[in-house]
Amino acid sequence: MVDVTLAAVTCAHPSGTMLFPAMWVSATLAEPAHFSWLETGLLAAGIVISLALFFWRFGPILRNILHSKQDADFSLHPVGRRVWDFFWEVLCQGKVIRQRPLPGLAHAFVFWGFLAFALVSSNHIANGLQIGFLSPESSLGKFYFLFAAAWALLVAVGITGLFIRRFFVRPIWFGKKVSIESGWIAFLIFLLMVSYLGAFFVSPGGAAVKALWWTHTLTLLVFLPLIPHTKHLHLVISPVTVFLKRDGFSNIPPLSGDEDFGLVAGKDVTQLISLQVYSCVECGRCTEHCPAANSGKVLNPKEIALGVRSYLNELGSVSDVALLAEARPETAFANLLSMEAAFECTTCGACEYQCPVGIQHVPVIVGLRRGATNTGVWEDTYGTKLFLALEKNGNALGLSAMERDKFIQKEAFPIFDGTQEYCLWLGCMGGYDPKGREIIADFARVMKYLGTTFGVLKKEKCTGDPARRLGNDLVFQTLAEAGLKAFETAKVQKIVAICPHCVRTIANDWREYGIAPEIEHHSEFMARHKDRLPKQASGESIVYHDPCYLGRYRDVYEAPREMVRQAGTLVEAPRSHERSFCCGAGGGLAFLGEEQGERVSHIRAAELAGTGAQVVGTACPFCNTMFRDALAEVSTAPPQLLDIAQLTARALPKMQETGIMDQGTGEQ
Amino acid sequence: MKILVAIKQVPERDAQVHVASDGKWIDESDLNYTINEPDAYALEEALQLKEKNGGEVVVVCAGPERVTSTLREALAKGADRAIHIEADDMGSRDTLGVAQILADAMKSESPDLILTGLQSDDLGLGQTGVVMAELLGIPHATIIMHVEATGSGLKVKRELEDGWFQHVEMPLPALLTIQSGGNKLRYATLMGIKKAKTKETKTVQAAAATAPAIALDRVYLPEKQKKTEMLTGTPDQVAAKIVEKLKFEVRVI
Repeated sequence: MVDVTLAAVTCAHPSGTMLFPAMWVSATLAEPAHFSWLETGLLAAGIVISLALFFWRFGPILRNILHSKQDADFSLHPVGRRVWDFFWEVLCQGKVIRQRPLPGLAHAFVFWGFLAFALVSSNHIANGLQIGFLSPESSLGKFYFLFAAAWALLVAVGITGLFIRRFFVRPIWFGKKVSIESGWIAFLIFLLMVSYLGAFFVSPGGAAVKALWWTHTLTLLVFLPLIPHTKHLHLVISPVTVFLKRDGFSNIPPLSGDEDFGLVAGKDVTQLISLQVYSCVECGRCTEHCPAANSGKVLNPKEIALGVRSYLNELGSVSDVALLAEARPETAFANLLSMEAAFECTTCGACEYQCPVGIQHVPVIVGLRRGATNTGVWEDTYGTKLFLALEKNGNALGLSAMERDKFIQKEAFPIFDGTQEYCLWLGCMGGYDPKGREIIADFARVMKYLGTTFGVLKKEKCTGDPARRLGNDLVFQTLAEAGLKAFETAKVQKIVAICPHCVRTIANDWREYGIAPEIEHHSEFMARHKDRLPKQASGESIVYHDPCYLGRYRDVYEAPREMVRQAGTLVEAPRSHERSFCCGAGGGLAFLGEEQGERVSHIRAAELAGTGAQVVGTACPFCNTMFRDALAEVSTAPPQLLDIAQLTARALPKMQETGIMDQGTGEQ
Repeated sequence: MKILVAIKQVPERDAQVHVASDGKWIDESDLNYTINEPDAYALEEALQLKEKNGGEVVVVCAGPERVTSTLREALAKGADRAIHIEADDMGSRDTLGVAQILADAMKSESPDLILTGLQSDDLGLGQTGVVMAELLGIPHATIIMHVEATGSGLKVKRELEDGWFQHVEMPLPALLTIQSGGNKLRYATLMGIKKAKTKETKTVQAAAATAPAIALDRVYLPEKQKKTEMLTGTPDQVAAKIVEKLKFEVRVI
């Protein structure tokens, strides 16, 4: 037997092993040489008890998930993307590490260590049952046990780091209450590693070997039943959740049947939602990035997941009891899942983007809103005003459609008649809002300069985005169907819009009612033609704000940046790209009343102004309108605020206006 | 309490209205219709009364097939039943004629309370409710902002001019014409629309129109009469001219 020395401090002992001062160090794992039948019997009993306790606790959870309503839109398509997500997010821990490098790496060590330990632990238990299959003496065993030892060290270091972070650093998004359970779990994991590593430091055959073996075994047996009870359940189910989560980003599922109004009661919670909420590991990444949670509002996306989980635990998945706190009798989870919280969400999707275990928060929050709005439970002066405006006027601003006609006449926009290449979608902001109109007018100049033919629809109604996100399926459906019909009648092939919300809603949400023509955002259009657009040499510093619905929702980050670089020097905000912080307008919130706590727009405006850039570049008329006032509030010398269309159009040569500029409407 | 709400379907608020070729009415093709706004408030008042005191809300509307969409909307907002008085010749009936067919349909229902908007958004005559009350022989009150049931009767708040209000107590059955803005309207919900499908809509034929006492002679868009006269002279002279005009031409001072 030749052992490789781990410590090269002392001379080799004649036996080939090393005698560290009073300590045995060996490269071979010491395993108990013999197990009595009594020991095997005890172990078997231990396993049975541990498994029984595990299933006693895991059974009800599994039942809740399986007995939840089936997802009407469930599909494994596209499998390739799912396999990739599983590989990247679960096996590689890509998201975990990328979004929080240090703790992410610590976690990855623990995770990879666990994977490495699968073989070790199986053999460990098998040994006790006298059916061990991997001898530490074999060459594979020699290699593998050392390999696992290296991982054990990393796990021990990783879990210690995570322990320190949770109990001493205490990031605020973990919540005020310190989870004692987590401490125990961390201790058990640490003990597992130490009891494994210890077996390299004891002489074979000694009593210490047995003691270590039993310590390791008992730790495993205690660990197992703790899993379903704590957030460590994610260990078992989150890989499944990541693989099965609904395709696409923040996709709102269709309602099914005449009795489905969204998430009204427990019986409306679907299997995917159940699976997702039980996967929550309470890491608080969603909270960390949530604009509501960071501006003093009630909403905390983590508590949405935990609220649904508490509901399922207490009331089950077939209950008729209302989900929302305001409509529900007293329960142990009283303060979770309030209507107030649900309607504070800007649907920015930062939570969903960040979630490492595949929870899709936005469809759940929108689902709760649907449950409240579709049944008339949600009563809000501004919300009602918005819905009535959408019902009556067909635009979110509640203005007469004639206002849009006048604007079209003033700008001399041609009406789309099938001969033009693009249908230019104005949207509520572009058609009715003064600043939105400036953006549309400038973008139209860019199109004209490029020689691209376009026309606008004679009549245009809101895409239904605010109604969709506020859970009003009736208004949304009416508007979506009207919009689809308008495109069909006008024989539109390609659409371009300045509003990411319109783009998203037409391209994705309308699919429930039909297929809309191809649509793109003006940033994508301009970036494609950027070589033919003038490059500005001013060198002006421009900080670009990623709109949620363009970035996270549509994955367009580069196109608008290319246009910003064309107009000046791009400056990145502290939070940018997929970590961009919302302006506060999304999810219909632009139309609701004053916010609680700090205004989301102020936080972001201060951040943008804080970069010292001369210009804030936006790519969404809603962001633009939110920052208009916010920048002036948070800065004494606010930067200029311009959409990328305006940044581009300002460099175009002045065109001879030959249109019917000042002809007016002739009806006054 | 059984409440009947008489509603009217009118062209949408921002509809581009064109005069029909015969000049007697507007061109109805290509128009979108909606509930008359004061009637929407009458419906809201009825629904709130029902929510407080229990009972039934029945909506009644006279007109061609297209009005059923407005009736369905009212059912979706919470009305229990609907009565559609089928008539394709609403344009040729005067206020008395319209009130007559509404009253005919309502009589057999023996309601405790009838609500309707104080006037219509299109014609704005403001008489239908009052005439209906007369035909049914029940008391009425107009321009009502708020209604409270007192058991045997009603307490209502009427809007007077110049910010004054009048509080009146009256017996039941009664008819009230409701002013816009007294309540907050509710939005239609998906659940409401789905429930509306199962609610009853009774269709009755309107009695043949009798010769109207008032006939529409000509419908036309407001004609532009922009007569601007520039007054010249020294400020004193201009002021004197203005006073003269206000006194003798406009006759307001």
